[in-house]
Amino acid sequence: MTVDPNAATQGFPTPPPGHGRPGATRYLVPALVAAAVAVGLGVYGKVHDPTGTAFNLAGFSSTGAVKSWLATTAFFFALVQLVSALMLYGKLPGPAWAAALHRWSGRIAFLVAVPVAVHCLYALGYQTYSTRVMWHSLLGCFFFGAFSAKMLLLRSERLPGWLLPVIGGLVFAVLTAVWLTSAFWFFRTFGVTT
Amino acid sequence: MKRPGPLLTLLAGLVFAVFLLVLNATTGTKNASNPYRQASPGVSVSATAPTATASPSPSPPPSPSPSRGAVTNADYAGRTDDGSSAVAVSLRGGRAIAYFCDGHDKESWLKGDVEADGTMKLTGGNGDELNGTLEDDKLIRGTADVGGQRYAFTADRAVKPSGLYRATATVRGAKIDGGWIVLPGGKQVGVVERDGTPSAAPEIDPETGAVTIDGQKIVARPVTP
Repeated sequence: MTVDPNAATQGFPTPPPGHGRPGATRYLVPALVAAAVAVGLGVYGKVHDPTGTAFNLAGFSSTGAVKSWLATTAFFFALVQLVSALMLYGKLPGPAWAAALHRWSGRIAFLVAVPVAVHCLYALGYQTYSTRVMWHSLLGCFFFGAFSAKMLLLRSERLPGWLLPVIGGLVFAVLTAVWLTSAFWFFRTFGVTT
Repeated sequence: MKRPGPLLTLLAGLVFAVFLLVLNATTGTKNASNPYRQASPGVSVSATAPTATASPSPSPPPSPSPSRGAVTNADYAGRTDDGSSAVAVSLRGGRAIAYFCDGHDKESWLKGDVEADGTMKLTGGNGDELNGTLEDDKLIRGTADVGGQRYAFTADRAVKPSGLYRATATVRGAKIDGGWIVLPGGKQVGVVERDGTPSAAPEIDPETGAVTIDGQKIVARPVTP
């Protein structure tokens, strides 16, 4: 007997479980998480009753000054992110530790931005009373969503080569806009104070 | 193999954010006996309690935060019965700070405690005194003795941006101390002192507190006791 009795019923080979449609969950999960984070922050900022104030750091005249300097620190590390990313992709000559630099500058930038966002959402909320404030609120929430997506995408392998640079660039651009509509505005309005 | 690093980064940020929120929430309910007030070195707890409420929402006014004080944390603003001056009171954790201001040259800052029954006796400089009673967490009625004169006043619960604001700065060597009462409806009454000499204050932007005094932009902040 040379014919396998099961051959006819086999039809198309069943794909191994877990690799069904590699594209689907790989992109869907980060996208959904990003949307949930951004919308969640925005809804919290809108629904939660802004308290007007929160704790301040010693040595600064106002929470605005604290946040502006923290945000500026985050923005500085974001610039490091841009440069180290260019090194990783070979667009700039870079040292062997460019990858570590990229990872750690990103972590620092993110962790420094967290208290700023907490204060914004806790004390000020999602506001739309002027163009600057509206864009800042919108993009601030969007930033943490986009950042979450970037972090989750990093865990996937064999992504299209353009995806990470695009998402990373988006995160950088949004952070820049968030910084321009807050810390940069603060320094221009009130002077570069501590 | 999946890399755990990015996930750990996200989780670290999340944990950090939750920690800060908890810190804010616990210090926000401080009262006289709260041990958290100077909890961590380097972090000075300044003006933690919430100002009344923010966006005008149709829902009943949410309580700003679970207050352990006898009276609800809130701001009150109104006028004297003769219409000459404005009075604002800010209550936080059983303490009160009040500002009396006629918008020209008369002003007084007063401080004190609020009793459990809603009465308060606040004192200021030059023997100024304010006696008030909080009624149903809705308004404060009482009298203010400022500059040797007695004024009866009524102050209604104020919702942001109305309330009490103060700005201090040094502009070209002069010590600036400005106080503003933003009344319900948006009208402002303010006095700015330059080296102790009072005069009418320019208007602040009630949303940001930004104000230009003698060509210098400074920012007025909500006042809390």
